Amino acid sequence: MMQQWLERETSEALGLRTVSHGFDDTDVLDDVTFSVERGETVAVIGPSGTGKTTLLRLLSLFYPPETGTVEMDGTDVWALSERDRLDVRRRLGMVFQEANLFDATVRRNVGYGRHIRRGWRDRLDHWLSRLGGGDASREVTEALETVGLSEMETQSAGSLSGGEAQRVAFARAIAYDPDFLFLDEPTSDLDPRNTAVLEDAIGTARARGLGVVVATHDMNQAERVADRVAVLVEGRLIEFGPAERVFTEPDDPRARKFIDGELVY
Amino acid sequence: MIETVSATATVADGFTPLLVDFPFERNYVESIIRVSLYVSLTAVLISTLVSLPVAMLVGFSEFPGKGFVVALINTGMGFPSVVVGLVVLFAVSNQGPLGTFDLVFTKEAMIISQFVLATPVITGVSLAAVTSVEEGVRDAAYAMGGTRVDVALVTIKEARYGIVTGVLAGLGRAISEVGSVLIVGGNIAGADGTSVTRTLTTAIQLEARQGRFELALILGAVLLALVLLINAIVLRLGGGRV
Amino acid sequence: MIQRRELLVATAGGATAALAGCTGDDGGENAEILDETLTLTTTTSTYDTGLLDEVNAAFEKRYGVDVEAVAQGTGAALETGRAGDSDVVMVHARSLEDEFTREGYGVNRRDLMFNDFVVVGPEDDPAGIDGMDEVTEAFQAIADAEATFVSRGDNSGTHAKELAIWDEAGVEPGGEWYRETGSGMGEVLNQATQTPAYTLADRGTYLSQRSELDVSIRVEGPIEGGPELLANPYGIVAVNPGVHEDVNYDLAMSYIGFLTSRRGQGIIEEYTVEGEQLFFPEAVSEEPNFQQYVPEEWTSDEG
Repeated sequence: MMQQWLERETSEALGLRTVSHGFDDTDVLDDVTFSVERGETVAVIGPSGTGKTTLLRLLSLFYPPETGTVEMDGTDVWALSERDRLDVRRRLGMVFQEANLFDATVRRNVGYGRHIRRGWRDRLDHWLSRLGGGDASREVTEALETVGLSEMETQSAGSLSGGEAQRVAFARAIAYDPDFLFLDEPTSDLDPRNTAVLEDAIGTARARGLGVVVATHDMNQAERVADRVAVLVEGRLIEFGPAERVFTEPDDPRARKFIDGELVY
Repeated sequence: MIETVSATATVADGFTPLLVDFPFERNYVESIIRVSLYVSLTAVLISTLVSLPVAMLVGFSEFPGKGFVVALINTGMGFPSVVVGLVVLFAVSNQGPLGTFDLVFTKEAMIISQFVLATPVITGVSLAAVTSVEEGVRDAAYAMGGTRVDVALVTIKEARYGIVTGVLAGLGRAISEVGSVLIVGGNIAGADGTSVTRTLTTAIQLEARQGRFELALILGAVLLALVLLINAIVLRLGGGRV
Repeated sequence: MIQRRELLVATAGGATAALAGCTGDDGGENAEILDETLTLTTTTSTYDTGLLDEVNAAFEKRYGVDVEAVAQGTGAALETGRAGDSDVVMVHARSLEDEFTREGYGVNRRDLMFNDFVVVGPEDDPAGIDGMDEVTEAFQAIADAEATFVSRGDNSGTHAKELAIWDEAGVEPGGEWYRETGSGMGEVLNQATQTPAYTLADRGTYLSQRSELDVSIRVEGPIEGGPELLANPYGIVAVNPGVHEDVNYDLAMSYIGFLTSRRGQGIIEEYTVEGEQLFFPEAVSEEPNFQQYVPEEWTSDEG
């Protein structure tokens, strides 16, 4: 099944191949092969502390895997030059469990991705001409519209509520038009309304052609947003396939147990 | 000597609206303020340019001898200014390693010694400020495709209030010290009362040495007003949050 | 023959004088000396009286140069000269100046001027020294009475003189009544007023602070008829270019020349503080004192 999938003619895909990664002597990920294509949403579910965060960090190229490879369309990303790898990194975006906004206006936060993609000279000119104001650009406004906060452009990040901040974090991650987006338990601290807004935004992103990976412990959320689901238990990917199948007829009994809510986490 | 205390001295100008009979000539006070500002501001500027990268390095990377550097920063904060002055004097003296640059008794030598005094303070405080920036924010900058430099700039920006506090502390240390600038500068003022290497602090020292404590206090008040003014300007520019 | 030589010397002298008149006060446009800097290190007492500003202003105008006077205190002034960081040194400690020239760091020493020291003390004069003729006796009396005495304690010229007097008097000062402060003359006089106590002061500083002091002169210096031991002669010496290549020797010599000329000595003589003359010039004389050129105990046998 997995083999079939790997050989299929796909649109661009980013993935891990036989990756094992550990901190101190434990294996956080054990022989994991995973991928996400552009235009689909993959949910990674599993008990807390099983390596979902590590999986996402490896995908977003925070650090190289101890064994195995991270590949973009079959190319080993960590074998590239630093410049080439930077180009790959620039096509990725990440939303963390906490918003992690900069101490600046919403506009500045959301515009950051575009800002750093300019050359130094342009940056200086841009900064001088808009001293204090930040980037009043189309991309910023559109990104904020995706999360329903377009009227908050000039607010300071510190004045936002938790839900608003996380929505801005989402806007920030897509404003520079990445190809892949990773979300690490993005709504676990949010109320239902903000959760809904964010899930809608995920749908919008996917429709735009982004490949989205959402790590979540909320089964229902996974059901709502995902095309495919990966189940990560004790560092191993015990189940990986279309959402409907995984939820109704999982192959692995542990997965079944988890989905049925019997596994303690 | 340009003061009203002795019969042969010249008459003082009315210099400020506060003191009807300010006992110093305008040119004298203006020139020592100029020298104080030139020396201390330049030293702090250069020091900041050095301190920030060092603070970033020490805060976020590992290298052999890191513990030594941290100890150096902490010790340096409280290092006696006279000792720094003596070391710099030796270095720039005719017989010292930097003798060819003719720096002894110049403002530039004073800048060097105040640089040595201010850097540990600015580095130490900036180090605390940048390391207290949340790792998540740094990660976010990286995740958005930021290079190491981008992340460093974000960190500095996030830590800006703490860094400014450090810079002001360094400036305070520089502008109010007397030991090093006295030794390397020589407290020189021209015969017409224009300062060559005389600062507010060394001028105060001069008055105090001659037992003219009231005059010393007046200059002290000028120095205090100057420091308050600088602090007010900086905090105003930064939006007032420290 | 002799007459012809004298004529030659006179002509040469006249020509030189004429030339000197040419360069005169405006400095001349092609003068090389313009904008150069002379570094003078000196004691705090010479600087604090304000004399140097007067003299230097005149010199600067005449030569178009800048004099940077660093008031460091006697010991430091000589040390700086030894290091080659100053061009000319002016202090009032003959034994230290002699050491300086003996060691080869200084050349062309000249007597410059003198003033004197006075012993000041409280109005009620607890040691009973008022009007004594011999300062050694006065110091003896102070020690016997254990009257409070404030000392400079800083190896300055004044301090050196004070120690010399104790030495002459055969007294080792110490104990609670003898306070070594390590401060400048002005501060010491303030302390003498506050305590109140006796102290040795140079007349110049005393005069400029007189209005704020509660102590006054108990033993006079030689200017007013007191003992010679309280004399305070000042010397000036150029730093030896043979030891330090970079010192501004010719400008230093011009400075010494100016200060020891009739004009420079005139400025010194006319300088007053509180209406009183502070310094007495002694450089210009029909019968120059040969002893000023060599260390005090130098004899021709030393070679």
